[in-house]
Amino acid sequence: MSALLTMFVAVPLLSAGLLVVIRNHAVARALLLVVPAASAIGGGLLVAAHGSTPVLAHTVGTYLPGVGIVFVSDTLSALMLLLVGVLTALCAGFLMRTGEDELRLVPSLILLLLTGVNGALLTGDLFNLFVFIEVMLLPSYALIAVTGVWRRLGAGRMFVIVNLLASTVFVMGVGLVYGAAGTVNLAALAGAAQDDPQVSLAGAVVLFAMLVKAGVVPMHGWLPRAYPATSAGIMALFSGIHTKVGLYAVFRIYSTLYGGEATWLPILLALVIATVLVGSFATFGEKRIRGALAYQMVAGVGQILIGLVVFTQLSLTAGLFYMVHHMITMGGLILLSGALEHVYGTGRLDRLSGLLRRDRAVAAFMALGFLSLVGLPPTSGLWGKATLLGGAAQAGGATAWLLLGTVVAASIASLMALQHVWRNVFQGRPLELDVDDDVTTTWGDLWPGATLISISVALFVLAGVAWPFFDEAATRLIDLAPYLQAVMGS
Amino acid sequence: MIIIFTIFVLVSGGTFLVLQRSMVRAVFGLGLISHAVNLILLVSGVPAWRGEPITSEADLARAADPLPQAFVLTAIVITLAVTILMLALAVIGHNDDQVRHPETGEDHDS
Repeated sequence: MSALLTMFVAVPLLSAGLLVVIRNHAVARALLLVVPAASAIGGGLLVAAHGSTPVLAHTVGTYLPGVGIVFVSDTLSALMLLLVGVLTALCAGFLMRTGEDELRLVPSLILLLLTGVNGALLTGDLFNLFVFIEVMLLPSYALIAVTGVWRRLGAGRMFVIVNLLASTVFVMGVGLVYGAAGTVNLAALAGAAQDDPQVSLAGAVVLFAMLVKAGVVPMHGWLPRAYPATSAGIMALFSGIHTKVGLYAVFRIYSTLYGGEATWLPILLALVIATVLVGSFATFGEKRIRGALAYQMVAGVGQILIGLVVFTQLSLTAGLFYMVHHMITMGGLILLSGALEHVYGTGRLDRLSGLLRRDRAVAAFMALGFLSLVGLPPTSGLWGKATLLGGAAQAGGATAWLLLGTVVAASIASLMALQHVWRNVFQGRPLELDVDDDVTTTWGDLWPGATLISISVALFVLAGVAWPFFDEAATRLIDLAPYLQAVMGS
Repeated sequence: MIIIFTIFVLVSGGTFLVLQRSMVRAVFGLGLISHAVNLILLVSGVPAWRGEPITSEADLARAADPLPQAFVLTAIVITLAVTILMLALAVIGHNDDQVRHPETGEDHDS
């Protein structure tokens, strides 16, 4: 049963290779939808399976425990697998609408990206995490420069340099962990950083590299410059699964190695607060819809990490819930603004205006998406923000007040900045672009984004059904015993 | 000590080159930094001369640790692939100063 975990990597990898050889358009489209959907279904089955077995582990080649390559799945990674599959399938649907999937090798590259992400989510070994993150990054280096505005070439250069540098620091950290602890198996490293200051420092190098990839201030600059330069479909793919893999790795490594007690925690706290504030206030300065959304992504990364900094059962649950909510909402908003760009040819705030009369459906879904980002009902954002505030309050003392104040100030700033976007795009004088009056967005353009925003609304109604899964995922981060039992077999 | 000094020289040179404006220099800089990291990985095993890590050839107590070597091998392969891609990007973009926009035949206002 647990050997099937390798299928999450093997199937996308083989289909990516297959699509390089078979140059048939219909086959490419079918695989591009079926493989991520199958991965999502697999993730959903895993979430259900973890109700009875908390952790599933498989050692490839049945080596001794702690020696071989391990694939481990618990509720957190299963939830992420489910979400990554759904997001990839919907982004693929959008790319088919814009015709970008017809570009040579794009379907293969997207499936390769899925391979790397699935592998990174399932691996139980730091060095394999590095390898899978590279498998995820290499296709994205190509994807970011394939489509988008003219800036994509310059942005692509910067994206490659920043990510290669971060990967280099990451592999250095892995080497230092190996030198200090003698192993890179996460289960064998459990609690190691609490006992040994050397491991603690080496782990900090690893986490630093992951924070760069997640886009934490002051290493966030690459994200709002690179992502809006590529096309909307690719940006939605990256925002949903790329930066969030960095965050997943931070959650996993920090909880396993440090158990929530790192000596450098005050530094992380300061960075997280700065990330939330910089992200939400910088949204004001952007002149394009997707530019504003990119800074909201930075703010979201900070808010997700608040859950990790506080490290209680509630705060971790809230952080994970916020991560899932943010992936869904952000993906939906980017795909909706992509639909506008596809029809009107621009995403600039000064060119678009008065779209409320032309595109009522887009306006409705975007309004819901903005409400979700800020944390207002009827969207998953309300529960995300509310539980996050509850979690932050558990930090106690001045830290709690600092975190609460940060989240509230950031929410108000985001609300105002997003109102600015809304007013420019949807209200004001009628559109002055050179397009016919009967040209508007159709359901064919906006169904992927609308689906994601609908999921966000559904999470608002069904939060009580979804919450136990996040609670279970957070429990696995605090109580490592089942994880160690499954991997080490003792 | 020599290996640590080498790492120091490689990282400082690499950092200087990455901060240059030209893409090709940045690629060279990343090459130097990744080489320094390869040396760090090797140091995390034992850098002194040991026997081959094959059970029939050498006494296990005297054999080298094969894992850091495997790490380095993987890191080298990945860096090589990315370096080629970056050099391709350096050619496609042409202009390092961004004074002239790259000619992609697209509207620069979108």
